[in-house]
Amino acid sequence: MKLSALSPKQLVEIDACTRCGECLKFCPVYAQRGEEEIDPRGKIQVFKSFIRSQYGLWAKIFGPKRLDEEKLKKFSEMVYRCTLCGECSVSCPVSIDAKHLWTALRETLVEMGHFPEAAKRMKANVLKAHNISGDENEERVEWLEFLDELPDHHYQKEKAGTAFFVGCVASFFPLVQKIPLAFVEILSKAGVDFTLLGGEEWCCGFPLIGAGMKKEAEVLIQHNLEMVKKKGVKSVVFACPSCYHTWMEEYKTDADIFHSTQFVKRLIDEGKILFKEKKMKVTYHDPCDLGRASGVYEAPREILRAIPGVELIEMKNNREQCKCCGGGGNLEMVDQELSAALAQEKINQIQATGADTVITACQQCVRTILTTARRREIPISAMDITEFVLKNMK
Amino acid sequence: MDKHLLFYVMFFPTVIFFLWGMSLHVSIWLEGGLEGAENATKREKLKIYIGRGWGEFWARPGWYVKIFITEVIFHRKLFGQSFYRWLAHTLLVFGFVATFAVDMIKGLTTGYLVEFSHTVPFFSFAREFETGAVRPFLDFFLEFFSFLILVGCIMAIVRRFAIRPDQLRTEEEDVTTLLFILFLELSGFFIEGYRIAHPEVVQAKNYLANFTPASANNWISFGGYFLSQFLRDVRINADFLWYFHVVPSLIWIIYIPHSKLLHIFTSSMTVMADRQKALTKQY
Repeated sequence: MKLSALSPKQLVEIDACTRCGECLKFCPVYAQRGEEEIDPRGKIQVFKSFIRSQYGLWAKIFGPKRLDEEKLKKFSEMVYRCTLCGECSVSCPVSIDAKHLWTALRETLVEMGHFPEAAKRMKANVLKAHNISGDENEERVEWLEFLDELPDHHYQKEKAGTAFFVGCVASFFPLVQKIPLAFVEILSKAGVDFTLLGGEEWCCGFPLIGAGMKKEAEVLIQHNLEMVKKKGVKSVVFACPSCYHTWMEEYKTDADIFHSTQFVKRLIDEGKILFKEKKMKVTYHDPCDLGRASGVYEAPREILRAIPGVELIEMKNNREQCKCCGGGGNLEMVDQELSAALAQEKINQIQATGADTVITACQQCVRTILTTARRREIPISAMDITEFVLKNMK
Repeated sequence: MDKHLLFYVMFFPTVIFFLWGMSLHVSIWLEGGLEGAENATKREKLKIYIGRGWGEFWARPGWYVKIFITEVIFHRKLFGQSFYRWLAHTLLVFGFVATFAVDMIKGLTTGYLVEFSHTVPFFSFAREFETGAVRPFLDFFLEFFSFLILVGCIMAIVRRFAIRPDQLRTEEEDVTTLLFILFLELSGFFIEGYRIAHPEVVQAKNYLANFTPASANNWISFGGYFLSQFLRDVRINADFLWYFHVVPSLIWIIYIPHSKLLHIFTSSMTVMADRQKALTKQY
């Protein structure tokens, strides 16, 4: 077993875990499963035992032991049953950056050939079709047909000031195509000079990085950077928090990076977006990749507060403590039932607020919440903040 | 045999074993990959890390010292999570750090340095530390900080075995670590009590702590003084008692890298790295 997928800092983090179990109180997956090996502490302890057997004192004297295949298989199942929500990192008293540790562990497992079949299929799709669904990538902007008025350039200009990077989920999943539709309309109404990348937009690499296949994501990163450069844009804006976060962390670009909430907030401040009054009680769900991972908590809240008549009721767990909807970390890909159980927990929290609707800023959260609600026939209204903004714009 | 000499004869191998234990971990940590230096050897990686750490520290030394005190020693994050846990942990950490500091001052300024001061006048301050006005305070603080460790240890034992929060899982290692600390503290107070209860032990110079004025024992060595009330009629070999406390103390130092006590170093690093990352993000 090689440890090169982990950084020396991450190996120190593994030794820093004191098994205090604070993470257990917050891990949404542990709350559902209750298995020690699935929680952050358990995963770290198992991996520590692997390290010991390969690099410990006895291994140095008598040689490394052969790792038990069954144990590895079980470990892989546990490591991939995680939403990468990062709540364990927030709660960890010794500040272990667990989210990055999990992706590094997944990288190690990929190197050892112990990763889910579904991840293999996803990788094939992404590398061949350049999107997670495996559809023809040229169909990325088919949702534009639903616009009432479509300009001749189809929002795919040669040059523009801003590029709107739509992301795979919003491009290909009909349930959430309303989000890019709404955002395109907002940008048009506000007079923003923007362009889409169309068929030249490739997956940002987030699903591969999350699955422990960071090296494979490099080709996607380089392509997207080149496309953005070609358009000569000064800023790139994302409605998808995962794409936004991936760009912030992995892309080396001079362009300014914005999440749609930050961009809309700026347009409001500039007086380019005005709202009509709307009497409504809403609650806000912080997407993991936007909140905990990127630290964007206030922009969406400020947008909601800017709409006259809208009352924002916070959920019991909000901001850094916000519970994952179950849609993160490729969990749905490996364990749909577990993902739905987390979504149910989220729905319970939403309903407890008594709000008319839940607003979020992520297509994956909207999709996960609505899919579970529909399957279980729970009457709940959920929408992305872009849709909500458009509905209430003057 | 002179206890100073005996102590150092045992202490130096202890330090070597401790460093060897730590080096085993450092060697594993350096198996990790370093972005931008993928082909670097372990030695080169270590050099890169030391260089980075050194540079970053001197870029804002005040900030690092502040973070070390507030976030590592006084564990601010834990304070927000559980006051009880914070108190127990802080008593242990602060107690150990402070005891270590006082012990170092005592160890370095007394004994050989005093003898050395007779030939090199510059070191004459050592005499002040050994028998002068500073001495009672050094002794008092050593006693006081050790007492804090004892309280913290008892609180941790109560939490683990009586309060038993749901998330806590007790393994052999946890029991060993806590009982080890408890033993070191109790044996330390016991040996002191025995010294106070038996003035002939001081006269015979069985122990290193021979310079505490007997009249001030009640406040300087308050813990030992309390125990001494019960030890006047107890007779134990004084040298044996010394070994009974010192040998386990040294074993404990060797045990650190091989136990969860390693987190003394590792979690300090993770906390500092986390705060440093947050600071960089702000900029």
